[in-house]
Amino acid sequence: MMDAGRHPRIKVLVSSEVIDVSGAVGNFHVKVRRRARYVQQDLCNSCAECTKVCPVIIPDEYQMGLASRKAIYIPFPQAVPSAYLINPEDCLGNNPIACGKCLEVCEQKCIDFDMRDEILEVDVGAMIVATGMEAYDPTEITEYGYSRYDNVITSMEFERLICAGGPSAGHFVRPSDGERPRRIGFIQCVGSRSSRYGSPYCSNICCMNTVKDTLLLADHYPDTDAKVFYMDIRAFGKGFEDLYLRSRSSGVRYIRGIPGEIEEDPQTKNLRVRVENTLAGELEQHELDMVVLSVGVRPRLDSNTVQRLLTLSRTSDGFFLEAHPKLKPVDAPTRGIFLAGCCESPKDVKDSVTQAGAAASHVQVLLSAGRIRIDAGTPLLEEADCIRCGRCAAVCPFHAIHWQRGGVPEIIEAACSGCGCCAAECPVDALTMRHSTDEQLKAQIDAILDEHPEDKLLTFACNWCSYAGGDTAGTARLQFPVHGRLVRTMCSARVSEDLILYAFEKGAPLVLVSGCHFADCHYINANRQTVTRVERAWDRLEKLGIRPERLHLEWISAAEGQKFAEVMRVLDEPRAQVTAEEIAHTRKVLAEERKRREGRKEKMRAAARKKREAAADARAESSAGAAASVAGPAKS
Amino acid sequence: MEEERRFRCLRCGLEFTAVHRKDGEPVERVCPRCRSNSIRPTKEAKG
Ligand SMILES: Cc1cc2nc3c(=O)[nH]c(=O)nc-3n(C[C@H](O)[C@H](O)[C@H](O)COP(=O)(O)OP(=O)(O)OC[C@H]3O[C@@H](n4cnc5c(N)ncnc54)[C@H](O)[C@@H]3O)c2cc1C
Ligand code: SF4
Ligand code: SF4
Ligand code: SF4
Ligand SMILES: [Zn+2]
Repeated sequence: MMDAGRHPRIKVLVSSEVIDVSGAVGNFHVKVRRRARYVQQDLCNSCAECTKVCPVIIPDEYQMGLASRKAIYIPFPQAVPSAYLINPEDCLGNNPIACGKCLEVCEQKCIDFDMRDEILEVDVGAMIVATGMEAYDPTEITEYGYSRYDNVITSMEFERLICAGGPSAGHFVRPSDGERPRRIGFIQCVGSRSSRYGSPYCSNICCMNTVKDTLLLADHYPDTDAKVFYMDIRAFGKGFEDLYLRSRSSGVRYIRGIPGEIEEDPQTKNLRVRVENTLAGELEQHELDMVVLSVGVRPRLDSNTVQRLLTLSRTSDGFFLEAHPKLKPVDAPTRGIFLAGCCESPKDVKDSVTQAGAAASHVQVLLSAGRIRIDAGTPLLEEADCIRCGRCAAVCPFHAIHWQRGGVPEIIEAACSGCGCCAAECPVDALTMRHSTDEQLKAQIDAILDEHPEDKLLTFACNWCSYAGGDTAGTARLQFPVHGRLVRTMCSARVSEDLILYAFEKGAPLVLVSGCHFADCHYINANRQTVTRVERAWDRLEKLGIRPERLHLEWISAAEGQKFAEVMRVLDEPRAQVTAEEIAHTRKVLAEERKRREGRKEKMRAAARKKREAAADARAESSAGAAASVAGPAKS
Repeated sequence: MEEERRFRCLRCGLEFTAVHRKDGEPVERVCPRCRSNSIRPTKEAKG
């Protein structure tokens, strides 16, 4: 951090947060709010005279509330810059009767109560998100009495207590009486791997953190009796098993079983833990001086804000989603944005640093190239046809279409990923996807259904998952009926209601729309639009007297060759059951419906055109009127 | 906000009730009987 602070080409904006982002890769425009610190950081020499006289004493967040700080303070010893700041919520200087004691003693004259938050605007080519995570707060697990019992602490508090720069200067003591605890229990998986409390996932870092803590205790206080209550120890990293074995051989007892409850002796403040030792098959009771809850981690509570600002996506557990779990593990789905550290998933410092290095290298590659290559498959707007409804902009998962009420949408090609969701959504076909036009897709449908359409299971398959799932099924030589015919689109969200109806009109007995599972969508969340469209198509079919059961939707990942084969097998029966009469009826109904649909679209385009022309006329008239009134009445 | 909704599987015909979240991330719908994703909200569900 200090190196970064000193680096001539790194500008560290502390106490700052991003409040707005516009533009696209290479040209992001970012607004940042820099909070007023009420101390001019360039003048402050950290003499600490101010903090001595400040009368406000409050719990120190950095020391987990185990020590106190003043309203004017340095957040932690290594903070960059090394300058004091005032927290306005704590300071009396904000009250009408300002205390101003710090102001009086500051020789540098750097305290300024009139300082205000600043809004900075910066242009950047790429961004790295490294907003980290939060530790789980175990208060809700009332059985463990974290908020009732002084000597039940979290692993975060343990870190502070054993640290030389901590509240007790590295003397490891119990909060209740300041005595050194000799019998310490660690409870693992607190707020992790649980359907009841916290999160269902493994937090990844807490096992090794506890192993490290027990080694620290063994090193500093060899006579400590440490016990670790665990489900299973996950020591999977380089050298981790070795550390775990060292911890065991130093005398730490590892007991497989998670205690259900902690009880406190009100007199001694000692703790009693009951646990079923699942290895010994016995109920055990342990008397302890201190219990450390090995808390897991969870996504930051403000992740939504960052997600919205940067058009990110999140996995079901709430961490930010990478563009591809194997091939693009540090890229966010939005081009030019990268992820590092625990904001992406829980990980230790080593993995966070590795990921941060990778993200920085990716940025270097991007920026040093100076220009980027974008896919050619972006949408092309036919302005004359556009009715300025903004639906394309509303569904674009990358915010690549800027639209203002009543205006023409502006397509930011550098931000577009080519999913085709916008083109499928446009009610008047004003958008054409280059290299995946409606005509091209319809030509494929025509070719598939040209002969014996009743034998074909027309399948729209997305490039990344379901099409690849078909490949997986093929290369694994799985057996399934041969009736499937695939039309490949980049995303299932490219499949418009019109394309589905077109396939039925051309004689398809059954149509399958397939795409990535929600968590795997390569276009952030475009496939949620697929659901909406298929639902609309089901409604439309039903209204027209066509069985909605003939339209199917399946999520198939690239690895799910089995599922692909299974779907092909299962759908073969309903395909075969569609009679020639039913197909003929469908074709007739849909041919008529298509004409009506085309008519409706043309009407919408014409109405919008007329409205625009009228507005233009009105504008011309009013500007002519204004010009006439400026010129004054003509002299006769 | 969560509410219960009726759905129908278009593969096997099963009608079932499932939790529908109005806000937050939508979840994939799966038929509890045949595992199909062709799950259509019933008319009442759309209300
Ligand atoms: C109890 C506990 C014990 C641990 N023990 C170990 C251990 O022994 N060994 C180990 O290797 N790892 C350990 N870890 C994991 C380690 O803390 C993480 O790997 C590491 O902190 C991740 O770094 P990070 O930069 O991703 O996130 P963080 O360290 O969380 O840093 C994120 C930073 O971003 C800032 N920020 C957040 N949102 C914004 C925003 N919107 N705008 C501006 N700034 C923002 C935050 O204030 C913070 O400074 C432990 C974690 C916990 C919870
Ligand atoms: S790392 Fe260990 S303690 Fe943490 S959740 Fe996973 S198994 Fe539990
Ligand atoms: S193709 Fe996809 S990413 Fe590109 S503008 Fe359309 S909706 Fe947005
Ligand atoms: S008519 Fe089509 S292109 Fe125009 S704003 Fe609406 S959806 Fe976008
Ligand atoms: Zn079913």
